[in-house]
Order: sequence, then structure tokens, then C-alpha cells
Amino acid sequence: MNYQFKWSVLWSGQSGGWLLQGVITTIEISALAWVLAVALGILSGALRTVPWKPVRALATFYVEFFRNVPLLVWMFFWYFGVPPLLPRAVQDWIFNHGAEFWAGMFALGVYHGARMSEVIRSGIQAIPRTQFEASVAMGLTTFQAYRLVIVPIALRLIVPPATSESLNLLKNSSVALTISVAELTFQTRQIETYTAKAIEAYTAGTVIYLVLCVAIAAIMARVERRFAIPGLIARGG
Amino acid sequence: MKRMLLVMLALVLALPFAAPAGAQPDTLDKIKQSGALTIGTRTGSPPFAYVNKNNEWVGFSIDLVERLVKPEVEKAVGKSIKIEKKESTPQSRIPLLANNSVDLIAETMTDTPQRRESVDFSLTFFYTGAQFLVKKGSPIKGVNDIAGKRIASQQGSTNAKIIREKYPQAQLREFPDQPAAFQALAQGQVEAYTNDGIQLAGLKAKAPNPGDWEVVGDFYSEEPYGMAMRKGDAKFKATVDAGLKHGFESGKYFEIYEKWFGPKGDVPYPTTPQVKAYLLKQIGK
Repeated sequence: MNYQFKWSVLWSGQSGGWLLQGVITTIEISALAWVLAVALGILSGALRTVPWKPVRALATFYVEFFRNVPLLVWMFFWYFGVPPLLPRAVQDWIFNHGAEFWAGMFALGVYHGARMSEVIRSGIQAIPRTQFEASVAMGLTTFQAYRLVIVPIALRLIVPPATSESLNLLKNSSVALTISVAELTFQTRQIETYTAKAIEAYTAGTVIYLVLCVAIAAIMARVERRFAIPGLIARGG
Repeated sequence: MKRMLLVMLALVLALPFAAPAGAQPDTLDKIKQSGALTIGTRTGSPPFAYVNKNNEWVGFSIDLVERLVKPEVEKAVGKSIKIEKKESTPQSRIPLLANNSVDLIAETMTDTPQRRESVDFSLTFFYTGAQFLVKKGSPIKGVNDIAGKRIASQQGSTNAKIIREKYPQAQLREFPDQPAAFQALAQGQVEAYTNDGIQLAGLKAKAPNPGDWEVVGDFYSEEPYGMAMRKGDAKFKATVDAGLKHGFESGKYFEIYEKWFGPKGDVPYPTTPQVKAYLLKQIGK
């Protein structure tokens, strides 16, 4: 390989500041999208298991529609497809006030909400049906049974797959660069533009994603231990 | 666990070093052995390099390689060769050269001092500068009208860099490719799209209603296009330059220019006397 490495491009000039801005934007968009995804995921995941057919159908439609269209298409949909539905003055206002960020956030959140929904549904279906029946026999309504018994147990069961899904969300936030969101990958490309040192810039991006993901995995592992119900789930290590 | 993480990090960091830092590159030798000159070029930058309606991968930059550079390389290696094309983008082109995937970048790459630290450039084969594409009748007439306006640019382009540094009052939106930037302009997400003038002329010519759009403003940057190759390969650079030089001298270059940019070409864009003088100055005329 014929290439002169110059790692100092990563901390000389403005590169350090750009990487930091990129990391902040990545964390902001991912955190907001994650909250949206978890809320939509819990709602539609629970609705897919309730005993009313029309509600199940609606939740199934949401999941299949949003998870089976590529994320890139959703980015374009929220950025190019939705604004023309709004009045001209509103469009101008949002275009001047970070339309890119919010379109990217919705695309990520709604897409991952559909995927999160499947994780939560599998958690709920892993709980023996008798739990639900026992709750109802105790006099709880269906809503109360879900809120007080089924969902809290399901959320504890699904921490490992939900962690994977959250890491995917963080990494997928890079797709938002297609609609001009200046997140981490965008900034590594910018460093490449200024310095023509592509390999150094992309290596920096890779390492930062790795560190962020490992940190999130560590936090989720703590959460799992902290909230475990003693005796409910057998686990090793 | 901690130790494993460190090992993983170390592996990732070591990847770029894994290939032996090479001896002097010898591209001509590589071409002689493989019988092919592999170029990195674009698929969506008419008329320099793009896939046309008949699904052929063609363009001005590709023609220059086929008709000017290829004969010179064949002379140098003493046998006939093929041209192979791979797609390159502003992000991938320098790595593609560095890892030997391609031998020559022939697209719309501006020759800049920063890039010269990583690659060598041929003689300049096209000269343009940054302008703006706007809806007809837009209040934006040039670079002095962009304060507070939403301006699209292409990620990784030299224009984006200039706007950010010299005109920070503009709201810059950077898209990865032409189609996304043009869509944003057509829908009003942005009020102007800035790129090299010739690229905007190409985009306008290909738009569904070319009359709705205008290319405005004086050049606010200089964009000499060169072909890029691995750094330090003097023999290969001399061969490529000889091909282009021969093209300028014999007038073949201007025939090819006429084919793509002449009145009947894909994107009419006559050379100005200044541009012609600039190109010929390189060969001492």
C-alpha cells in the first residue's frame, strides 16, 4: 500500500472540534430517536398481543410497513415527502430551523420503533399466558394487567436484544448524513475534504462508534443486573 | 473483558498498517502484467462521466483516457491494453488509489495543494469555478447575495469548504450527491445549489424543464480538474501527461471537447479564451 499516514490531521486545525460536534449531534439525534422508538415499540409491541383483533391488525400494519422499507427511503420521505404537505410559510420556517435534524430523528425513531416492537412482542409472548390470566382473575382490567404485570416483566426479559437494537439505532444515525445532518460520519468526511487523509479520518470515526457502542452495552448490562427480579430468570456469569 | 476490548481496539487501529508500506509504486509495470489500465470515475456527473440513456458508461473524462492517455500507455508498455472502469466518489477516490484498486482517477477532481500531499495530479484537463444554480428570477445573483440563505452544496467538495470559511452567514446544507441537492433546490429546502459551474450547467441541461433554472454568479473559486494517480510514480505521471500534452498540441483534445461541450454536445459550454490560454500555458504555448 502506497500511502503516507499522517495521524496528526485528527487533532490539528479544526478536526478535533468537528469530531466533537459530530459526536454530540450523533448522540442527540440517537437519544431522541431512541426515546421515540422505545415509546412506539412498547405501544405497538403490546398492542400486537392484546385480545382485540382490529387493534392487533393496526399494530401489525405499523410494524410491517415501517420495518420493511429501507431506512434511507424513510430519511428521504420525512425530509422531501412530508414538508410539501404543509403550508408554504410553515415549510420556510422549518427549513430555516433544522428541518434536516428533525426529519432524520423521525425517520430513525419510527423505523426503529417498528423493529423495537418485535423485540417487545417476543418478550411479552415469552411470559406464560397464565400470568395474564392470573392478573385478570385478581380483578385487574386488561390495561392494568399490561401496565402492572406483563410489560414490566417483558422489559426485563428483552434487555439483551433491545441493547442490540439500540446499538443499531446509534450506528444507523449515520444515514442521516444523506439529508445533510452533520453527525459523526459527516464530520469524518469533512476532515477528509480538508486534509485528503481519508484513512485516518474514517479510522477515527470507526473508533468513536466502537467506544460509544461499547459504553452503551456496558450501561445496558448494568441496567439488566440492577432491575433483575431475583429468581425469575436464570442467568450465567 | 477489559483486556478483550483493548485487543479489539488495537486490531482496528492496526488495520491500516497491515499492508506493507510499499516500495516505489510502478503503475506501468502493473499495467503491463495485467494488460489493463483501471480508472476510477463517476456514474452521475454528466458530461464528464456518467451512464447515458443507452446504459453506456461514457463522458469527457473517460474519452480523454481512451483517446489520449491509452495510446501513450500502450506505447510505454509495448502492448495493447484494455480500459477498466470502477466507480469512485469524492470519499473513496484517494483510498482506491492507495490500495491499488484503480490506477488513475479520471472524473471531476479538483487539483488542490492538500490533495497533492496524498496523490499526484496530471496536467489540468478542464478549468471551471464555483457558481450557483437557482430558480429563474431568484434574488440570488452571486456569492454576495447568500447571507442568511439556505445553500446546498456537495459533501466533500471544495466549494462547501470555501462557503464555510469565507461566507459563514450562509446556512450551508451538504448533500452526498447531485440528485439529492437538486431535489432540495426544486422543493425549496434550499434556495440555491452551489457547485462547479460546468456541473451546474450539466444538471440544468438534464433537468426536466431546463428553462426553469439559471446558473448565476462569477466564479468564486478556481477549480482546475486533473487526473490523480499514486504519489511518487514519476514514470506513470510522465506517460499520462505526455498523452494529454499530445492531445493539446495535435488539437485532438479540442475535438473531444467539441463533442461534449460544443453546440451539439451534451452540455453546451464553450471554452473562453482565458480558459484556452490557461490549458495551453501548461505545455508552454
